[in-house]
Amino acid sequence: MKYLIIIHCLIVLLLLNLSPVYGQNADTLNISSVKISGKVLGEKQKPLYGANIVIEGSIDGATSDSAGYFEFETTKTGRQILIATSIDYKEQSREIRLEPGKNIEINFQLARSEVSTEEIIVTASTYTSGQSSEVTLTPLEIVRVPGSDADLYRAITTFPGSNQVDEGSKITVRGGDADEVLTIIDQASVYNPFLFDDDYNTSTFSTIDPWGLRGINFSSGGFSAKWGNALSAVLDLKSYEMPQLVGLFLWLGLTGPSISGAYLSKDKKIGLSLEASRTFLEPFFKLNKDNTDFSPIPLAQGIGGTVSYKLSKLGFLKLYADYSGDKIGIRNTSPSYDGYFKSNSDNYFSNLKLSAGSNSTYLDASLSFSYHKKEMDYGVLNDAEKDIYSKLRADISHSVSKLIHLNTGLEYEYDGNRFSGTVPIFPYDMKPGAPSYGVSSNKITARIGGYFESEFRFSKKFFSIAGIRTDVHTLSKQITFDPRLSLVYKIAKDNVIRGAIGLYHQYPELLYYAQTQSNSLKPEQAIHYILGYELNKLNGVLLFRVEAYYKDYRSLVLYDNNSFLYNTNGSGYARGVDVFLKSSIVNKYTAWISYSYTDSKRRQFNSAPLTSADYDITHSLSFVGSYNITDNLTAGISYKISTGKPYTPVEGNYYDTTLNLYTPIYGVYNSDRFPVYQRMDVTLQYVFSIFGRFAVGVISLDNVLNNRNLYGYTYNSDYTQKLKIYSTNKRIVYLGLGLQI
Amino acid sequence: MKSKSVIYFLMLFLIGGISSSYADDFSDAILKAKKDFKSANDKSDQDGMIKARGEFERILQLKKNQWLVDYYLADVDFALSYVVMQSNDKDNIKKYTESSLQLLDKSTDMKDDFAEAYILKMAVNGNRWMYEPDKMNDILAKTNEATDKAKKLEPDNPRFYVISGMNLYYTPETFGGGASAAQPLFEKAYELFQNRKEKDDTYPSWGYDLSAGMLAMCYIKQDKLDDAKKYIDKGLEIDPESGFILNVVKKDYDDKIKK
Repeated sequence: MKYLIIIHCLIVLLLLNLSPVYGQNADTLNISSVKISGKVLGEKQKPLYGANIVIEGSIDGATSDSAGYFEFETTKTGRQILIATSIDYKEQSREIRLEPGKNIEINFQLARSEVSTEEIIVTASTYTSGQSSEVTLTPLEIVRVPGSDADLYRAITTFPGSNQVDEGSKITVRGGDADEVLTIIDQASVYNPFLFDDDYNTSTFSTIDPWGLRGINFSSGGFSAKWGNALSAVLDLKSYEMPQLVGLFLWLGLTGPSISGAYLSKDKKIGLSLEASRTFLEPFFKLNKDNTDFSPIPLAQGIGGTVSYKLSKLGFLKLYADYSGDKIGIRNTSPSYDGYFKSNSDNYFSNLKLSAGSNSTYLDASLSFSYHKKEMDYGVLNDAEKDIYSKLRADISHSVSKLIHLNTGLEYEYDGNRFSGTVPIFPYDMKPGAPSYGVSSNKITARIGGYFESEFRFSKKFFSIAGIRTDVHTLSKQITFDPRLSLVYKIAKDNVIRGAIGLYHQYPELLYYAQTQSNSLKPEQAIHYILGYELNKLNGVLLFRVEAYYKDYRSLVLYDNNSFLYNTNGSGYARGVDVFLKSSIVNKYTAWISYSYTDSKRRQFNSAPLTSADYDITHSLSFVGSYNITDNLTAGISYKISTGKPYTPVEGNYYDTTLNLYTPIYGVYNSDRFPVYQRMDVTLQYVFSIFGRFAVGVISLDNVLNNRNLYGYTYNSDYTQKLKIYSTNKRIVYLGLGLQI
Repeated sequence: MKSKSVIYFLMLFLIGGISSSYADDFSDAILKAKKDFKSANDKSDQDGMIKARGEFERILQLKKNQWLVDYYLADVDFALSYVVMQSNDKDNIKKYTESSLQLLDKSTDMKDDFAEAYILKMAVNGNRWMYEPDKMNDILAKTNEATDKAKKLEPDNPRFYVISGMNLYYTPETFGGGASAAQPLFEKAYELFQNRKEKDDTYPSWGYDLSAGMLAMCYIKQDKLDDAKKYIDKGLEIDPESGFILNVVKKDYDDKIKK
């Protein structure tokens, strides 16, 4: 009985509901309709043509005519919401009460919607790549730079002011040292992004994948107060929050394979990625007839992954973790010992990042951890070094108005360094059993840093960033204050002048504190003065930049030959001019020329005169060109020529009767130079498809002209003969095939 | 129990009835709006096009397949940009082009595998040359991105070839474009249209007359007037009201005949 009633009700409901199928027509159903009419006005009270008015939840409505007038009929009754919209205007809604037969007149006054300018202002000495149109270099261009092996750092050295350390990925910028360059990924500091770091005659490689980066911002000087504890340059990298290319990708390269995979959930809220690689260098050495004496053959491997979660439209949580390790043994013939230089290293890095906020206020927070262990062995030298870093950082950015934008942040960084081993007493006596001493040091410090900066857009032509930062170092009980100012002035269409001035500090590496008097090292300091001009026609079809800089260095770490301790009495300067000329048309070609002139001098030891800094490369010229022969085939060439690196010559010898060997008598530090360095690389890349899947093939010829560039000098046992050690980077063929699986 | 299953059956029917009635509301509204837009567009009637745009915009209220409705709104804005182009009104060309691109971005954000949206993006980005040619590399990059995505999603969509062809047709010959370069693309589009079946009535179905018309334009440029006439007639057979063939192609043809 109960069910019969329910069935009866459902049938009635069903019949009632089927009526909309036949259309709601006021005439056939004889329901009286209401007429709604009115005017829509836009800015300055002008009538708005083409505005749309609709009853929420229905398709009843109309468009306004050229007089702003609209009218329509509806059979809806009761409380309804009327919505008015128009292109470039903000939506407006009004509540109305509809009673049959009672016509309504209602007017709207719409306000213009704010046009947000996507323009990102590029400050002095900055090379950026990302999603804005102010791009200097795209990830694709980086990957295609010949001789770079898709290595981000090597591609950056083709820009003016940057040079490679030993043809590897480690870079030095504008006459500074390699450790003056700070790498940041998603706010976490990466102190060991290289493999084969500091290894004898081995070029380093970086472990950062350029394809995973959505933003690359390289500042070769004058960078903002956001980044502390760096003297010369900052490489600020931002990764994609969610995986971009889903699926499995396999790379078969002559130096070894790598595999990567990414997954994105159906609702796009969860992303996972995994990547692993390992080198197998036997085929590479065989093909290139490389007879370097290795024992063992260099080996590098890595594995890493990410987990991402999308909290909201602008909110993300991302965990990134990776491991990389290397091992190598390479023969080194030095005056006192002929044997294998062996080393191995392990690196762990992880970063948990949170981003959240709205379009006007944004928070980025990161908790990162890294561990680095390196062991080295050569003759009597045998040591192990362990570095631990951990950092908690938060940055908030807030738009006060279209003209003012504020940034502030705080960070706490923990740094521990443990060094132990046997070190030769005399650097010229390395053989096993030579006089040595045991070293064991364990240093810990924390650095607390904070900054505040403001971006002002004074007018369409003038933009400036003013900021200040402070850093406290607990081990040396030092505190620094760094004010920084950056200016951009648009003198005319396509013509920009940029300038920057700022104070920069960097605390010396923990290892130096072990050899000081009571950890009393001051932070190293540099003052940057930069002024430059840029012409940018047609958004990159012609880009020309020239920039002059002067860096005043003080409190540099200095070695006292008398006390065998480190102090910060060093000083120096670096000055020069960088010139950059680039032209590119998307999908047709990309080419750039960089030239830099550098004069960088330092006092390296106590009571010593100013001499060339280690990377005082006077002239450096780079050319990179990439051309799309067809839509699928790209050819590239790069060429670099530069002044030789400075080195310290040996001017004589002295026979040490107690040690029973010759000891060198050195000339003035860094007073001589290697011969001119030059190298040309070519590459060919072909994109095709196999079984409907994406594939890419690469052939490159590095050091095409087989230039015998110098890695260093060594001597015979009595230092009467100078012997050349050539770089292991002879003419090299590389092949690679990438497949989407 | 039998009564219980009858209840469940009726409830299903009721729910089905409710949703299908909304669906019918939606399809009917789309089909009407499409028809109104087409007839206004064929006559380059700006007023009619704006009214049709309003119809589409109101369909958003039904909250069904909004990515499809945004596509149509972008399509109307793109068509409106061509109407204001006649008077070289740069501000309005920019207004309609940017509105169209924003709507297409909204559509692909909601449904990223709707090839038609990428095909339309390929076309709309072309307008930017008129008011911001200095953003050259960005225009090229966005066009290429849309082209790659569209091709990956639906390599046999005839509209892909119509737009690719039109982009190439209007590229100067010195850069590898022109009528003869673009012709194979229009031929492919025309061929693909012959057996084309759209997913359903609410999906975009434009372009058949465009492919015939563009082939005629290619032949006109190459002085092959008989072939041109053949495709003009074919185009009018496909769509007797085709504004493109009647107002654009025929005018070109008549001008050529006079010479």
